[in-house]
Amino acid sequence: MKVNQKIKLAQLEKKVVQLEENWKRALADYANLEKRVERQKQDLAFFLKGELLLNFLKVFEDLKRCQKALKNEGVDLILEKFERTLTNCGVKEIEAKGKIFDPESMEAVEKVKDGKKGRVSQVFESGYLLDDQVLKPAKVVVAD
Amino acid sequence: MAKIIGIDLGTTNSCVAVMEAGKPKVIPSAEGKNTIPSAVEPVKNLVGEVAKRQMILNPENTVYSIKRLMGRKVSEPVVEKTKKLVPYTIKAGKNGMVVVEIGGKGYTPQEISAMILRKTKVDAESYLGEKVTEAVITVPAYFDDSQRQATKQAGEIAGLTVKRIINEPTAAALAYGLEKKTGETIAVYDLGGGTFDISILEIGDGVFEVKATNGDTYLGGDDFDEKIIDHLVEEFKKENGIDLRADKQALQRLRDAAEKGKIELSSSQETEINLPFITQSQAGQPLHLTQKLTRAKLESLVADLIENSFKPVEACLKDAKLEVKDIDEVILVGGQTRMPKIQAKIKEFFGKEAHKGVNPDEVVAIGAAIQGGVLAGDVKDVLLLDVTPLTLGLETLGSVSTPLIERNTTIPTSKSQVFSTAADNQTQVEINVLQGERSMAVDNKSLGRFILDGIPPAPRGAPQVEVAFDLDANGILKVSAKDKASGKSQSITIKDAVGLSEEEIEKAKKDAEIHSKEDEEKKQLVEVRNQAENLIFTIDKTIKDAKGKIKKEDKENLEKEKEALQKLIAVEKMNLEEVKKQTEKLSQLLQQVGTAMHQQGEKAQPNQAKATGTSDSDKSDKAGKTPKKDEAEEGEVVN
Repeated sequence: MKVNQKIKLAQLEKKVVQLEENWKRALADYANLEKRVERQKQDLAFFLKGELLLNFLKVFEDLKRCQKALKNEGVDLILEKFERTLTNCGVKEIEAKGKIFDPESMEAVEKVKDGKKGRVSQVFESGYLLDDQVLKPAKVVVAD
Repeated sequence: MAKIIGIDLGTTNSCVAVMEAGKPKVIPSAEGKNTIPSAVEPVKNLVGEVAKRQMILNPENTVYSIKRLMGRKVSEPVVEKTKKLVPYTIKAGKNGMVVVEIGGKGYTPQEISAMILRKTKVDAESYLGEKVTEAVITVPAYFDDSQRQATKQAGEIAGLTVKRIINEPTAAALAYGLEKKTGETIAVYDLGGGTFDISILEIGDGVFEVKATNGDTYLGGDDFDEKIIDHLVEEFKKENGIDLRADKQALQRLRDAAEKGKIELSSSQETEINLPFITQSQAGQPLHLTQKLTRAKLESLVADLIENSFKPVEACLKDAKLEVKDIDEVILVGGQTRMPKIQAKIKEFFGKEAHKGVNPDEVVAIGAAIQGGVLAGDVKDVLLLDVTPLTLGLETLGSVSTPLIERNTTIPTSKSQVFSTAADNQTQVEINVLQGERSMAVDNKSLGRFILDGIPPAPRGAPQVEVAFDLDANGILKVSAKDKASGKSQSITIKDAVGLSEEEIEKAKKDAEIHSKEDEEKKQLVEVRNQAENLIFTIDKTIKDAKGKIKKEDKENLEKEKEALQKLIAVEKMNLEEVKKQTEKLSQLLQQVGTAMHQQGEKAQPNQAKATGTSDSDKSDKAGKTPKKDEAEEGEVVN
């Protein structure tokens, strides 16, 4: 009887340790989840805002191309307004022209012989930062 | 136990996933993408997206498609072929094994792959918030021992203990839970960015046996994009006499637009490629590219590519000594298999629908994560958390059922809310615990009731009674009520608050659906009546408190309108609209009177705010129900 009780006690003790371990793990999982949910919320906000802005940025790029050919004063005003609106949304154009190529914020699409080696000689498509994170890398031509 | 991640180490892209609470989840990269390009620049230690962006500047130093070289000797024909296609240098290393030479230094394919694996490890650690040291990595079914060994070494170099190397088609089958289908034969059609694989597996007692594999190592989604670009360039040339391929900037834009158009055509029948100011005419006039592309056109453009993919499928069946009718299940892997035409062709060929539902870009990594979960013991020992199948709540003023724990809440859970009294000097409240989805208390099941007494006499709405519901993992519900002022409390324990038969649950849900409209109306009636009664109460109180400070005509006016409202709600079938109108009118009148009193230098009654509340009466207004002494107490009541 006594031996049985001892065995039972040992089993129960083992079980308590195991359950406590499981419980702590569950608590830790939850605490980690809370942190992650917070981060994911921010990521999601960035993603949703970013997706929307990317679609408009394509049109903005087209408008800029158009203005290169048109050189219309009114369109200049529209572009200025467009740019201001983007700035207010947290969008910043990545300065690439003449800078040292940086793969974090630029994508090289061509290399050319002339120009300072390793620097961006031409920007094919502007890149943009949203809240200081890369939304879209600039597509650039680099002198080599 | 630490988590074991599952990694799909691909030729063009890699993906990592992990089991969380019994479910596989793809881990996003630091760049926020679910897959990372399998590209590495070892000198500057650039991996993934970043390495890919600088590839054309630094082609000799940027390694991609390393998987083609894993565990290979330089003498093998596939290495010879790869040598011709990639710009980096491939040399013979120890024992004639392949090394790539970057910046004068030799790297084994294991070392290059390790850099990709290390990135997935770091991304997983930052996502999980804990160290990751173990992984399951997938390889193509045709990988031989030496290639598998090399993959394992790559994992170890990256600081990962490789718990198991599994076949990609097996992982895909695991992701669809097919391991239980003993005796079945599965075909896995994997069309990725740059390679095509077909594998035939047989499941026996949870063990997958690869019967045969085949494929085309140079067929993939990128070829589909090229076909679209060719077509657009051709059309533009016909129209304008200008070759867009000669204009790098134009070609870049075209490439992006082609891929986007291809993706759009998987969900819509038609898309427009619209690239204004794409180039200039010889006369310097700006030219635009606008072309409609239909799904049918795309399908005709890539028909030969799709057709080509079925030759290896036929060969594979032949190798496996099987016929089409022997295939029980078909699984799709790789982004390009999203194309409806490919899915239709597969259905036509195999005579059955392929499994869908798991993202084809992620399905292999997900399967690897599931295998990791099994090895970690996660999957076996998943603590299945139950949910409460029906809403639990209590009865409040006007026989309304007020929910506390909503249906489908994962248990154990607890919830509390503060209620109040419905009448002046009410010294006890009855708590009637209800289960069900209906709006009115009588239509739901009463699980038990008890009375909390000894509440010190106070005006209605003043006492604060906190009611707490605590539902434990075994479905045992403990309901307690506590008067905050006196500290008196009472509780009840109800066993089996969750344990309902399937039929009971279904019936309760159906009832709720059928009666939802009628219930809403009933509930609205009660709410409007409660609101009217509240207003009447407030007016009485205002008149009493104001005593002489209120103008005589104002007082008479208020009383007249109040009586009108009282009459309206006294009838059995009250007219909702009229009561609403009268309540609104009276409420405004009370405001005017209040303002007038205020202007006379008196403080407005604090109760006014409450009286003008909208129909969304706040919870404290739905005060605890007036007790009915004659009702017997049910359930197990404990102190």
